[in-house]
Amino acid sequence: MRQLAWRLGQSILLLVGVSLCSFVLLSAAPGNFFDELKLNPQISSATVSALQAQYGANRPLPERYARWVASIVRGDWGYSLSYHSPVGGLVWQRARNTLLLTTFAVLLAWMVALPWGIAEALHKGGWIDRTGEVILALLLAMPDVLLALLLLLLAARTGWFPTGGMSSTDAAELSAAAKAWDLARHLFLPATALALTTMPILARHVRSAMVGVLDAPFLTAARGHGIPKFRLLSRYALPVALNSLISLFGFSVGSLLSISLLVEIILSWPGLGPLVVEAVLARDIYVVVAATMFSAACLIVGNLLADVLLYCTDPRIRPVHS
Amino acid sequence: MQTKLQPMPSANPVILSVRNLSLQYAHKTPFESRTAVTALSNVSLDLVRGKTLALVGPSGCGKSSLARCLVLLEKPSFGQILYGGRDVIGLKSKELKDFRRDIHLIFQDSASALNPGMTIEEVLLEPLDIHEPTLGKKDRFLRLVSACEQAALSSKWLTRRPDELSGGQRQRVAIARSLVARPKILILDEALSALDLSTQSHIANLLMDLQSAHSLAYLFITHDLRMARLLAHDVLAMKAGQILDSAPRLFTPDIHAGPTPIGTVSTAKDTEGMRLHVMPSVNE
Repeated sequence: MRQLAWRLGQSILLLVGVSLCSFVLLSAAPGNFFDELKLNPQISSATVSALQAQYGANRPLPERYARWVASIVRGDWGYSLSYHSPVGGLVWQRARNTLLLTTFAVLLAWMVALPWGIAEALHKGGWIDRTGEVILALLLAMPDVLLALLLLLLAARTGWFPTGGMSSTDAAELSAAAKAWDLARHLFLPATALALTTMPILARHVRSAMVGVLDAPFLTAARGHGIPKFRLLSRYALPVALNSLISLFGFSVGSLLSISLLVEIILSWPGLGPLVVEAVLARDIYVVVAATMFSAACLIVGNLLADVLLYCTDPRIRPVHS
Repeated sequence: MQTKLQPMPSANPVILSVRNLSLQYAHKTPFESRTAVTALSNVSLDLVRGKTLALVGPSGCGKSSLARCLVLLEKPSFGQILYGGRDVIGLKSKELKDFRRDIHLIFQDSASALNPGMTIEEVLLEPLDIHEPTLGKKDRFLRLVSACEQAALSSKWLTRRPDELSGGQRQRVAIARSLVARPKILILDEALSALDLSTQSHIANLLMDLQSAHSLAYLFITHDLRMARLLAHDVLAMKAGQILDSAPRLFTPDIHAGPTPIGTVSTAKDTEGMRLHVMPSVNE
C-alpha cells in the first residue's frame, strides 16, 4: 500500500512536469490564436487586443500557467478559443471515444498476439514459426497510414463496415441491443487498424519471452517428472513469461493512444485525434495541453496498472517481512 | 492390450538396461539435414536395484546427454533402454508417464531446476498431482511429510520459494520432489558438484540412507572421483560419447559389495558403516 501511494505521488509529480513542459513549449512556439485573427481583414486590431486582454493572452507566462492551474481546480482545464467552451468538457467528450477505441484495440491486439507468440515459440524454427515471422515482418514494415487506408478501401468496396463515425444516422431510433451492434460495427475498422499496428510488436515480445522460458532448466526438470505439456505451459511457462509481458501491457496502453490519433483522422473516428489536429492548426493551446496531459495520464495509468499486476502475479517482487 | 509398465521382478537385480545407445544431433536447414554432433555412441550399461553406478568423465563427454536420454528428455538416435523387459524409447503418453514416475533426474543446479514462482509445497505436490491424481487430501499430506522427512527437509521451508533457500536446501527439495512419487531409479547429474564440502557430505549421506531404505538404483554422474569412490558400487568412465572398455577400475568392481570409503582428512567411518563426517553446514 505504501509502495502504491509512493508511485501515485511520483505520477502526480510527473504530470505536473508534463504540464509545465507542454505549456512552456507550446507558448514558446511562434504564432498564436490571435495572430491568426489579425490576418483576418474583417477583424480590427482593437478587437483583437480586447480579446487578448479578456483571455489574459498578453499576461506573463507564469501568470498564465497559474490561471490555467486554477481553472483545472474548477474543472475547466482552460478555455478553448476556437470552440468557445471550457476545454475540460470538450476534451473529455472526445477522450471517452478514444478510450473506447483503444481499450478494444488493446484487447484485440493481445488476444491475437498471445496465442500467436506462444504458437511460434512452441514451434521454434518450424514452419509455423517461420510463416508467422514473415507475416509479422510484413505488418511491421507496413506504415500505419497505408494499413488504415487499405482497411478503408476494403470497407468502401465491400460495404461490410461503415467507413466513418461511431454511430449510424438513425441510431437514436434503435433499441439498446441494436445500438450496441451498430457501435461494434463502427468500432471494428479503427480497432482492427490500431490492433494490427501494435500486434506484431506484442507477438514478437511474447515469442521471445516464451522461448526464453521454454528453454529454462526448471521446465526441462518438470518435463522429466512427467508433467504434461498443457500444464507445463499454463503453470510453469506462462506465469514466468508473464512478468515481461505485463510491463509491455502497461506500455501498450499508453502508446496506443498516440498511434490512435492518426487512425482516428483517417477513419473519421470522433476521438481526440481530429480535435488535436484542429487545435494545433488553430493554435488553441489549452486544448493541445489538455490532450497531452490526457495522453501522459494514460501512459502513467498503464504503467501503474502493470506495476499492480506484477505485484499480484509475482511474489518475488513483494517486500519480505521478517 | 498393453500391460502396465513395471520394473523387472525383484529376483532380477538389474532394473534398467541400456543397450548400444547412440545420440546424434542433426544440423537442419530447409534444404538438408546432416549429422552435426555425435553425443553418444554405442553406450551400454546396467542399473542395479539398491546399487550406485558412477559415471565419470571430462566435461562434454556426453554424461549429461546420457542422463537426458534415460529420462527421455532427448530421443536417442539408435539403441534401446530396457525397463520392465520393454524398450521405453517410443512409449506413448500413458506408459511414458508411468516410466517417468519411476525414474527421476536430479540436476546440478537446483536453483534453476525449481519453478521460481511456486512455493516448495507446490513444487513437492506437483508429481503427486500428475502421477497420483486420485490420492486423497490426507494421503497427499502424509506423502508430502514423509518425503520431507526422508530428505531432511524442514516443514518451515514449505511456504518459501526456491530463491529464499540455500543451495543445499534446494538440493534437498529436488530430492524430496523425486521421492514424493516413490521412484525406483534416480539419475544424479552432478547433483553434488555445486555444493560446498559440508553440504555435499550431508546430501551424500542422505542419498545412501535413502538407497538402503528403498533399494533405489542410482546413476551417479560426476567428475569428482573421490565422491564416486565414496558413493558408488561400480564405476564407468566415459570419453567422447563412449564408455571406455579399457577404463581402469578405480575401486572394487564387485557390485554386490558395499561402496569403498575414502580416507581423507575430512572423512572417516562411523560405527554403522561408511559415513562422511564433516562440520555441519551453516545453511542446514
